[in-house]
Amino acid sequence: MRVLIVEDDPDLSRQLGEVLKDMGYAVDVANDGEEGHFLGDTEPYDAVVLDLGLPVIDGVSVLQKWRADGKTFPVLILTARDQWSEKVAGFDAGADDYLTKPFHTEELLARLRALLRRAAGHTTDTIEVGGLMVDNRAARAFVDGMPIKLTSHEFRLLSYLAMHRGRVISRTELVEHIYDQDFDRDSNTIEVFVGRLRRKIGTDRIETVRGLGYRLLDPAAENNKK
Amino acid sequence: MSDPQVVTHHDGSLVRRLVRSAVMWVLPILALTAVALTWFYRSSTYRIFDEPLESAITSLIATSQASPDDKGNWAVDLSSEPIDPRYQRALSGRYWLIGNLDETGEIKVLQASRSMAGETLTLPVTDAATILKSPGDELRSVANGPDRDSNEQLRVIARSVILPGMENTPVVMIAAADVSAANQAIKRFAALASLLLLFLSGGLIFGVLSQVRLGLKPLFDLTNEVANVRQGRSERVDGQYPSEIAPLADELNTLIGHNSDVVERARTHVANLAHALKTPIAVLLNEAETSKSQLSDVVTRQSEEMRRQVDHHLRRARAAARGQVIGVSTPVDEVVMSLVRTLERIYRNKDIDFDVDILDGLRFRGEKRDLEEMIGNLLDNACKWTKSEVSIGTHISTSDDSDFVIFVADNGPGVDPSNYEEALKRGARLDEATPGTGFGLAIVDDLAKAYKGALQLSRAKTGGLKVTLELPRTVND
Repeated sequence: MRVLIVEDDPDLSRQLGEVLKDMGYAVDVANDGEEGHFLGDTEPYDAVVLDLGLPVIDGVSVLQKWRADGKTFPVLILTARDQWSEKVAGFDAGADDYLTKPFHTEELLARLRALLRRAAGHTTDTIEVGGLMVDNRAARAFVDGMPIKLTSHEFRLLSYLAMHRGRVISRTELVEHIYDQDFDRDSNTIEVFVGRLRRKIGTDRIETVRGLGYRLLDPAAENNKK
Repeated sequence: MSDPQVVTHHDGSLVRRLVRSAVMWVLPILALTAVALTWFYRSSTYRIFDEPLESAITSLIATSQASPDDKGNWAVDLSSEPIDPRYQRALSGRYWLIGNLDETGEIKVLQASRSMAGETLTLPVTDAATILKSPGDELRSVANGPDRDSNEQLRVIARSVILPGMENTPVVMIAAADVSAANQAIKRFAALASLLLLFLSGGLIFGVLSQVRLGLKPLFDLTNEVANVRQGRSERVDGQYPSEIAPLADELNTLIGHNSDVVERARTHVANLAHALKTPIAVLLNEAETSKSQLSDVVTRQSEEMRRQVDHHLRRARAAARGQVIGVSTPVDEVVMSLVRTLERIYRNKDIDFDVDILDGLRFRGEKRDLEEMIGNLLDNACKWTKSEVSIGTHISTSDDSDFVIFVADNGPGVDPSNYEEALKRGARLDEATPGTGFGLAIVDDLAKAYKGALQLSRAKTGGLKVTLELPRTVND
């Protein structure tokens, strides 16, 4: 899951970045409205945390531009402005949620998870695929109830596959959604991560569809089909 | 609700003032005119009246001769009598007389016109004395006619003359005529002049009244316009005004603009302060959360205190700027619809049914964001507690036509009536009302009070809480 943070306070954006990375998200940070709009316009984010009082272009305008360009990623507005007129303006511009500063990190994470979940059509934070359980709330995964140790990149890969289980996901899409923009995007590394992940959760859980990409499967169900 | 800021000190009416001052000069001048006209008419009437009498006296002087009789008494003879035939007819109303005057005004007749019918005349005592003192002078006096029964009023011209040979005893020569016709004419003239001038003054006062009304009409128009602004029917003082009060209208518009500028500036400052302080507080709290040490505990505690203070003072500052902008009104349905749209998104997981029934064209007499704050908090509160449905509706206040009532009800658990007071009391003590706790009603209560409105809690038919808010509306007439 890849998240964009648009926030002009460097300390706050650093904190948010750290917390989100800890929770297994790939995070990009923009410090003003112009940069934020550009990133949101060019990169396929899964969610955006947007401040309203931004330098260069204000948050509401950035959001309006994205929506006018057909961007559908969920946007959570994080702002000090707590008047209803501002909330109405934010939602009318196309926001999906609204959180006022100061806030508790837990609250922000919960709302972000809810937005991602809703966007992918799930109702809970945990996704189970045939004995494999991905807990997005705690950023952990279990196989048959046993916790498995994953690096943050491995978890992101697994979480994205789990969110879109049963669907073939191209290597490019994976690259776009699990790396932040500063990462050296050599698509071979995806194969490396998939290889490591298979070793940890079981080879037959990730199917390689030649020329198309990867798919997360329930091996037992697949065997029954055969 | 009554209008509280009405100036009750009236220094009379401007119209009455102007009309009164007009009356104060119109009436005396016209009265004086009546007196002067009558005086002129009277003196010219008497001048014409006197002329034949004077010529009669001149003729008497020219034609009289004095001669002593055998007893040594003097007699006066006339070589020819004045020619007016009325002197010959008895009691005709025109008389002449020559005689000796004594101090009592009695005249001892030496010679008289036939019209005197053998009677004599009596002059007033003071006039008699004057005549005796200054021989040769003509004097105008009055006397009763010779006919005692008819009460005839005579105008008399008397002259004391010394006839040749009668050096020791001057004689008085008198011509008199019935003056009642002339007097009556003068009286008639005076009455007619007074009547006409009375009509004239009435017309003048009416003219002044309509002139003042017409002249002051722009002022009345201005008053109406200002009332419109205050009632929120218009945003500025409109219309064309004469050069004398056009500056006043301009000044009023400047003042109205200044007023909203000041309020807007106060709000902007507050919002900027909020943004400037809340982000650092968020940073401190987040940073302190990541480690557990004495330092982080202190930072957390102090940051929470800062957050509380910021919230408290922001609310105060916002409250101070509230309800002060004049000449604004807000369509209620627009605000409610945009809030419902927003709340549907915020509470989309709850799948709430909104039942909205807002009067068509209803306008709140106040600022949009204040209405948004009130309705937003009420709806948010209802959405938070409701099981499945939230209803919002309006009607015109039954007690005051210039108010409207808006209610928000939910079908949640509701509030026990014994806790109503507690739920609203937080408004009185702002520092207790922390965000995210309670019912958010404190803010609504504060705001409603700023608009002289009222908030009431009751039990909804569906079992939940029903909050009723009475607010001023813009009455379009």
